[in-house]
Amino acid sequence: MNVVQRGLRSIIRKPVKSILLLLVVVVISSFFMAGLAGQSASIKTQDATRQAVGATFRLEGNEANRHKRLDEAAKKISEGEDGTYNGVIFKHFADGSSMVKTDNSFETIKPEDAEKIAQVDGIEEYNLITVSTVVNPVNFKRIEDSDVDQSNDLGGVNIRGNRIMEMDMDVSAGKIEIVDGRMIQENETNVCVISEELAQFNQITLGAELQFNNVKDKENSRIYSAKVVGIYKTTQKIKPVMSGDSYRSENTIFTDLHFPEKASGEEGNPLFQYAIFRVDDVRAYDRIKAEIEKADIDWERYDLIDSDGNIKSMAENFNDMEKMSKMLLVLVSAASFLILVLIFLFWMKNRTQEIGILMALGESKKRIWLQFLTEALLIGSIGFVLSLGVSPLLSNATASYLARQTQEQAAADAGSVSTDYVAPELTIQDTEISITGNMVAIDAGVIAGLLAFSVTIAGITIMRKKPKEILSEMS
Amino acid sequence: MPEKYDEKTILEVRKVNYHYKANRDKKILDNISYCFEEENVYAILGPSGSGKTTFLSLLAGLDVPVTGKILYKGEDIQKEGLNHHRKENVSLVFQSYNLIDYLTPKENVMLGGKENPEKLLAAVGISEGDWNRKILQLSGGQQQRVAIARALASPAKVLLADEPTGNLDEEIAEEIIEILRKSAHDLGKCVIVVTHSKAVADAADMVIKINSGKIEEIKNF
Ligand SMILES: Nc1ncnc2c1ncn2[C@@H]1O[C@H](COP(=O)(O)OP(=O)(O)OP(=O)(O)O)[C@@H](O)[C@H]1O
Ligand SMILES: [Mg+2]
Repeated sequence: MNVVQRGLRSIIRKPVKSILLLLVVVVISSFFMAGLAGQSASIKTQDATRQAVGATFRLEGNEANRHKRLDEAAKKISEGEDGTYNGVIFKHFADGSSMVKTDNSFETIKPEDAEKIAQVDGIEEYNLITVSTVVNPVNFKRIEDSDVDQSNDLGGVNIRGNRIMEMDMDVSAGKIEIVDGRMIQENETNVCVISEELAQFNQITLGAELQFNNVKDKENSRIYSAKVVGIYKTTQKIKPVMSGDSYRSENTIFTDLHFPEKASGEEGNPLFQYAIFRVDDVRAYDRIKAEIEKADIDWERYDLIDSDGNIKSMAENFNDMEKMSKMLLVLVSAASFLILVLIFLFWMKNRTQEIGILMALGESKKRIWLQFLTEALLIGSIGFVLSLGVSPLLSNATASYLARQTQEQAAADAGSVSTDYVAPELTIQDTEISITGNMVAIDAGVIAGLLAFSVTIAGITIMRKKPKEILSEMS
Repeated sequence: MPEKYDEKTILEVRKVNYHYKANRDKKILDNISYCFEEENVYAILGPSGSGKTTFLSLLAGLDVPVTGKILYKGEDIQKEGLNHHRKENVSLVFQSYNLIDYLTPKENVMLGGKENPEKLLAAVGISEGDWNRKILQLSGGQQQRVAIARALASPAKVLLADEPTGNLDEEIAEEIIEILRKSAHDLGKCVIVVTHSKAVADAADMVIKINSGKIEEIKNF
């Protein structure tokens, strides 16, 4: 009878000790797996959170560069003369006063620059956003607060053009929800989406043509009309860019990309305030950033801003979560080791007689150890397989618990950071933990290692003794 | 010693001293020398606590003398290793607790040797219905007989037994003695039996008395 045959008989015919070990292995393996899952969940959640927050880059004008260009223009246009240089206009008046004006071409983000960045590998889609442009509502009335002094206000509404409305900052931040109709798609012209308040106030329904013209020349400027294709409601208040009712949230109208320039009398001369680039794979965020910075554009003119919400502060939380998972793994391993050693000491104690008999029959200590190891590993593998059934539940529970903790923390941190950009609600679509082959392999390896190590440690107590000593302990 | 004597000697005790570590002052074996021969049954007698079991365990290679040697066929048993000695040269029956409880009687016998476990079990009086039962469902006497069958199953030349008939009926005990005699005389084994039993001592070819660390050989006639 070989070691395995004997081991099998011992497992089956002395089931109590086997079941004890089996249960312990199931528990250990499940907890260990949960720890592993927690670790992988931390990475997954990190990605998911980034995605939810919207892993994007934002391109905007650099303020220092703007001043530099202004100074440059001032130098080019010799003092005391009128002139135009690179979108800067100087005018001198008879009374000695002077004026410096910039036009849209001076202020705008150049679409061709945005286009170059959009070509970078890893950029999924991009958006251009015009400046909030105040225009005059011709065939409808804006919403006004009669208590507020409107003397400094232009008396218009503000319109904002997007290349892709869905990617507008307020829209993607979830502050706006379409309640009727739809958003504006790429390449549409002369369409708009208005607030439900404005629609109600003016009895406007989908399909209506709204008319706008230049707010500075309400009487004579050309009127442009845009068809209402959607009505939105605000779920979070949109912060007005300036005071005055022209900019109030209800008077904000989303349009196609080129409508604002037309309605403000600047057709062909757009003013894009932001370009936003969406990253297709958040894990490649840093690589893509490096790629973007290589793009052949005048980088001095722009700032590239990481619009990844508050990933920095989140990253710390995720690191904590990873640490927690690691600690769980270490604790589980250490506790398991102790428990297993105790179990095997109990085995050895209970099996002194058997050990003595086998030794008297000339069985080597090595082979006796091998039999215990075989039994432990056989039971261990059954326990391990059983734990594969249990651990997904436990892993999911652990992982989503850890994820929730981390997110709450991240959200709390985000709230305390003051930025224009408000992170959207952090919802994790998928904390479902898939137990990967890799995890199973690690778990199996660790369980086998723990079993072998603890059988050996427990075995030392017996194996150090002489057979005679063991036999005298028998009776 | 005569040459013929040497040839038949299978197990030799040479100038063996033994005391337990726990009690160094009490000499269990005091400079003992003796030669055990093939084809003989030896009975070891002595008062309780005189060192019979200790002596047997030294012969079995379960323990080592403090000084002196045990030789198997002229060679120190420590040379090939005590494991090897226990596995190949001797088979053992303890005073009690001989069997592995998760193995059946038949499987226990097969630990000694694979051939004819049924025949051996039948020979020591275990009926067929008990061959595959649980060990703990057997009586003490039955367990002892299974242990004897296991020792008999072993091809080893030396059979060591510590009070094998201690808790057996006289009738069965006689049968066991007869089996032991046969394995000595017919199979050429050297059978060494520790016993209190007069019947066993009478059946032995040689009687050895242990007392106060010394042994004394008494030939049987
Ligand atoms: N492990 C031990 N440590 C210390 N002393 C021991 C040990 N085993 C036995 N002894 C002592 O050694 C002496 C001989 O013991 P042993 O078991 O050899 O006697 P025995 O002749 O077999 O007795 P019995 O007829 O009762 O079986 C006894 O005095 C006993 O107390
Ligand atoms: Mg004894």
